[in-house]
Amino acid sequence: MNPVNYVILSAVLFSIGAIGVLVRRNAIIVFMSVELMLNAANLAFVAFARINGILSGQVIAFFVMVVAAAEVVVGLAIIVQIFRTRRSVSIDEPNLLKH
Amino acid sequence: MNPIMASAPALFTIRSVDYRAISPVLIILAVALVSVFVEAFVGRSARRPVQLVLVFGAFLATFIDLITLHATRLVTAAGSVAVDGPALVMQGAIILLAALAAMLMAERMVDPSGDPFAARASSLPGSVDEAEFSARGYFQTEVWPLLLFSVAGMMLFVSANDLLLMFVALEVMSLPIYLMAGMARRRRLLSQEASLKYFLLGAFASAFFLYGMALTFGFAGSVNLGSIADAVSAKPSQSGLLLLAVAMLSIGLLFKVAAVPFHQWTPDAYQGAPTAVTALMATTVKIAAFGALMRVLYVAFGGIRWDWTPMLWIVAILTMVVGSVIAVTQSDIKRMLAYSSVAQAGFILVGVIAVSGKGLASVLFYVIAYGFATIGAFAVVSVVRDASGEATHLSKWAGLGKKSPVTGAVLSLLMLSFAGIPLTSGFIGKFAVFSAAIANGATWLVIVAVIASVVSAFFYARVIVLMFFSEPTEATASVVVPSAFTTIVIAAGATVTVVVGIAPQPLLDLVNNAGLFLR
Amino acid sequence: MNVYTPILILGILAFGFAAFSVLTASLTGPKRYNRAKVDAYECGIDPTPQPEGGGRFPVKYYLTAMLFIVFDIEIVFLYPWAVAFDRLAFFGFCEMVVFIITVLVVYAYVWRRRGLEWD
Repeated sequence: MNPVNYVILSAVLFSIGAIGVLVRRNAIIVFMSVELMLNAANLAFVAFARINGILSGQVIAFFVMVVAAAEVVVGLAIIVQIFRTRRSVSIDEPNLLKH
Repeated sequence: MNPIMASAPALFTIRSVDYRAISPVLIILAVALVSVFVEAFVGRSARRPVQLVLVFGAFLATFIDLITLHATRLVTAAGSVAVDGPALVMQGAIILLAALAAMLMAERMVDPSGDPFAARASSLPGSVDEAEFSARGYFQTEVWPLLLFSVAGMMLFVSANDLLLMFVALEVMSLPIYLMAGMARRRRLLSQEASLKYFLLGAFASAFFLYGMALTFGFAGSVNLGSIADAVSAKPSQSGLLLLAVAMLSIGLLFKVAAVPFHQWTPDAYQGAPTAVTALMATTVKIAAFGALMRVLYVAFGGIRWDWTPMLWIVAILTMVVGSVIAVTQSDIKRMLAYSSVAQAGFILVGVIAVSGKGLASVLFYVIAYGFATIGAFAVVSVVRDASGEATHLSKWAGLGKKSPVTGAVLSLLMLSFAGIPLTSGFIGKFAVFSAAIANGATWLVIVAVIASVVSAFFYARVIVLMFFSEPTEATASVVVPSAFTTIVIAAGATVTVVVGIAPQPLLDLVNNAGLFLR
Repeated sequence: MNVYTPILILGILAFGFAAFSVLTASLTGPKRYNRAKVDAYECGIDPTPQPEGGGRFPVKYYLTAMLFIVFDIEIVFLYPWAVAFDRLAFFGFCEMVVFIITVLVVYAYVWRRRGLEWD
């Protein structure tokens, strides 16, 4: 199969993630969308590694996975803490910070 | 034969790593690990003194190390770390400002109940647990390892010569700050909200950076900035892939410098975070982000500068205008300083657009001068308090200058520097940035910048007028006498602002001798 | 055929270890039967109370899950190192020891802060 298709797929996934961040209101879903964007980038790295015939793209994907995991842990800690305080993870609801 | 297999052996040649050249980062990282170890094994009451010794010792050792390294100009670790003049200057500035921010974080005299951080970040705001932890006199000491990791990330961020290392450094820098932003002792709901917003938008922006990096990898077959530059000049034809990559990388970096339209997190994060952490975000992160932005644009994409400077023009104009105009309408001092930092980012971008050695030096000068003035301003904000904690609403600042003339005078000085009034460091910074831009033909941009700085002078002057030309009322906050920590920060901010304003030559020499980015 | 010999030896070792463990346990271990021993998935702790009629799980699952994710993902770096182990030689070994030490320090922190205790 033509590896360029995987690049296109990754662009589609990235767009879905970006739209998800912009339109969804649940912090967990927004966060999942961000993770989708990161993983779309991973797919692009692996696909480009195949196209360019260079192995390093696959190693970069490892680094991205680790960074994404660290981000998950930090993000979930923040979101869970907010949820325990407010019983809600809507990102519209916590709007004490307005002017 | 499979092309992937053919190229494999070359990947595994072991490149030498010049540990001496990267020792500043290694020192901070090693101490950060020791600091985690201290959290695990040292008794609760001894943790704070041990951590303070570790943190300030690490900053001191790193700064001395940087001074001994000042003449180093090399690229090491398989081309992924550039130890060059701009990187060393910025690392030095980051260490100094981080040490000052650490002093604000260590302050215990200002808040009657302790330091600026919640006794236990995991306890629910307003819960029995929280009250008990406070009553027992528990203190949060996990902020110290977080601070060290964040500083290590910043130092790597400005010297990363490789997009992958830059991405990892970006996250190492940001993740601890997201957490620290949510740990305020008072107004914890605001603090947690600031943390959430900063985190979600920050993660969104870093996803853009990452995808831009993937596209760059697709275009150039490498994420090394030097190799990207070679690929850019080898394929001179317009490539949509390349332009998209530059745009997405820039989005990720412009988010960190708080440029419009990627600035929405700034006021919320600055207002909600503990003031000491805000000071860290507004100074060191800004320096690191500008360093990385310039390195990516200059080193990797200098060959197609005519394609990205128009985009940067628009962003710079928007940033200056929106930051200045919205700051006028703010009624909270921390929010006002946040929009002020947006506007200042616009002025700094004018220097970035110059794309010249002069532009680079002027930006270095500006971020350092701005960093010291800003950290002084936030230190002043942290000592102006009333019964509920920090009095950040501007109505509570009316007549403050008559009540506490010294504090009022220091803040006025810093505001004048932000506004770019002569004899302050801000004036020299603006002058350097604008003249570098004019030398490169961006006259119209400088005209817009001058108009924007006139608008910004209005809201800076408003604070001065409010403090000195209105009578103190019942609601006027009072200035708490801080310990030596905050006093040092305020004094350092004011001193650097005046000294650099009157005798800028040593700092100008420093940034001019820093030279260009290596690749 | 020679290239498959190590795999064969590995397979025999693995099978031998499993058989040895089961056999030793049944020969030397104490034999006390009770109701809990025949429960499905019995692993020594009380079953977590489930919310009535479905609903959210206790939040402590999230802490365990997060710790697992972090430590699990860190190990991904061992794979590329293992692939190029011989060519990376002593330099690679030292780097990997440093990496493992950093993970160990964090593990010590989690352990001392009672992140691994169930209640």
